[in-house]
Amino acid sequence: MIFAALLGVLSVSAQADTLAAPPVLKNLSTAPHIVEVTLTAAPARLALLPGKVTDVFAYNGRVPGPTLDVQEGDSVIVHFQNQLPESTTIHWHGMHLAANMDGSPLYPIAPGARTDYVFKVGEGKAGTYWYHPHVDKRTGYQVAKGLYGALIVRAAKSPLPAAIPEKLLILSDNRFGPDGSPDFPDPNSPAGQVDMENGREGPVMFVNGQVGPTIVIKSGEVQRWRVINASAARVYRLAVPGQTLLWVGSDGGLFEKPEAVQDIVLANSERVELLVRGTGAPGSEAALVTLPYDRYDTHTRPADWNQSHDLVRLVYAPTPPVTPVAIPDVLRPIPALDTTQVAATKVVTFTQGLINGKAMDMNRIDLRSRLGTTEIWEIDNLVGMDHPFHLHGFRFQVLDRNGVPERVRRWKDSVNVPRHETVRLIVNFDDFAGKWMFHCHILDHEDEGMMGVLETY
Amino acid sequence: MTAWGKRVLWSAGAVAGVLAVAGFVTRRGDSAVERPRVAPADSQMDKVLRGRYLVISHDCGGCHGGVDPTSTGWLAGVMSPFQEFKIGACNYFQPDAKPCFVTRPRNLTPDNTTGLGRYSERQTFNALKYGLRMEDTPDVEITSSTPGQGNFPLHPHYLAPPMPWPAWRHMPDTDLWAIAAYLHRALKPVVNKVADSEGPPDFWASAYTIDQIGTYPAPAFPTTNEQALK
Repeated sequence: MIFAALLGVLSVSAQADTLAAPPVLKNLSTAPHIVEVTLTAAPARLALLPGKVTDVFAYNGRVPGPTLDVQEGDSVIVHFQNQLPESTTIHWHGMHLAANMDGSPLYPIAPGARTDYVFKVGEGKAGTYWYHPHVDKRTGYQVAKGLYGALIVRAAKSPLPAAIPEKLLILSDNRFGPDGSPDFPDPNSPAGQVDMENGREGPVMFVNGQVGPTIVIKSGEVQRWRVINASAARVYRLAVPGQTLLWVGSDGGLFEKPEAVQDIVLANSERVELLVRGTGAPGSEAALVTLPYDRYDTHTRPADWNQSHDLVRLVYAPTPPVTPVAIPDVLRPIPALDTTQVAATKVVTFTQGLINGKAMDMNRIDLRSRLGTTEIWEIDNLVGMDHPFHLHGFRFQVLDRNGVPERVRRWKDSVNVPRHETVRLIVNFDDFAGKWMFHCHILDHEDEGMMGVLETY
Repeated sequence: MTAWGKRVLWSAGAVAGVLAVAGFVTRRGDSAVERPRVAPADSQMDKVLRGRYLVISHDCGGCHGGVDPTSTGWLAGVMSPFQEFKIGACNYFQPDAKPCFVTRPRNLTPDNTTGLGRYSERQTFNALKYGLRMEDTPDVEITSSTPGQGNFPLHPHYLAPPMPWPAWRHMPDTDLWAIAAYLHRALKPVVNKVADSEGPPDFWASAYTIDQIGTYPAPAFPTTNEQALK
């Protein structure tokens, strides 16, 4: 009897995800194409780890923050209140908007202050984005304390069948002290120096703030997963051992056609969209794992860098297989930016903690680009570890990596530049004059000054 | 002593002792050394030949490849594991002892992707003068030799031992610039990808304190070990 009841519980639990998506921010507006939401950053006490209470910073009281879910063409109004004991901003990572709405360190929101972030989401911008603080020298700290959330832009008509269920996976890692508080070593200690070199990684790997959650899939079912790397420094190499993934999108939305891959490297702040196919038998189990990826300088490479880690249990429902939905061969056109109409080529060089030999100075303009022009940027990583490059405000296309032409055209706002390698990208500065950040998205490096200022004019 | 013999000697040194044994590494005799020529018309030629003389006389090829400038792989870096150094507790007889770091002499030819071609002569000068890894060091004049002072990095990334920069920094700056000029301008680029050297998390900072490498500039003559000339 008890055994039967227990079985019942197990079978019920095996048919529902334990992975929970963050709630969607409630739209206060009834007007068409207006999304008006309130967002508050404040200290909170949450159970991030079993049996421990952690003092966090939270958007609307939760980690990760609620999801901002909008459509192409929407005008977005975010009534933001900073109830933190320190200044903050919200950077709408990947959005194309006015420079003073970008949440850059040039526009801090003081403790207790309010502001409205207002921007319009352009057509063709459907994709997976995210939001997080971007305040001077404190971004890594505030993100580690819990400030990050997803921003989903939907097309009016998606090329993917509506029958495909969708999952959001926000990846984040952290390191805690015995009392459950995030561990921030003295920057001058050996541990602090390793954090500064590698960026701060932690052994606890969260998916939507949960450790080791379960996604249930039916045999034959196809699911669309949107994956965000919100980690300060950890780079994931995603795989579902035993199956080929269909990679359908990255930072700026869907590709022209699906790409079959065994694994995907997801650097800091990058996003991917995957189609995961239920190729396993009913009742069987698989996992989303992160495989070893060596992004490190040999001097500070962690001893366990070559270990794989399970992120999500993938449980096959004990129900008869379903007929897979047809996956379209063509998703959407991505017009190539015109390399014959390039107004300038800029070189951005990474050395230890510096860009073009300089540490960040908010009062300095490092590069200037004329509005209405297209430029090629060459990102040279001279050092012995990877650095992910992020440009604010303007999406780009990667032309080549170490001289090898990029095979899949896609919209990007962040690109990993592996050790000793060069990535060339093309970007069109179509609109919005002002000052923009470009930087290494390892948050420790960004905070230490591995950032520059671009002025568009 | 052969280059291979030097490697055994090096691998026998513990991390802390690495620099102490530096004095025992023998240099090749001067028989192959070419004296700088006098009075070529071109001052760049002067500089490059001075650099060439210093490179040969300081046995750069002993680690970085080649016997003399006619050798295949002259200064082109490690081409076999026998050219690598094991630094730390590990040695020829106890290869698995820890800590153990592998130093792989770099490709010093000006190849753009695998050699010095991506760096400036100033970055190479800064490596020779201050021990700073060229790829980690911006292309600027370094204004101090003390970590955290001037624009010397607070947490410097030093070249891996046994690169003898603590001795070579005492050469006149013009000589170090001449070496950089020879490497960057006068060598043909050779494509040879050398894996990065390994090292401790402090990037050898604890091996390159003043206690370990002495002061710069060198103390005034005479010290207690020396006698003034009569």
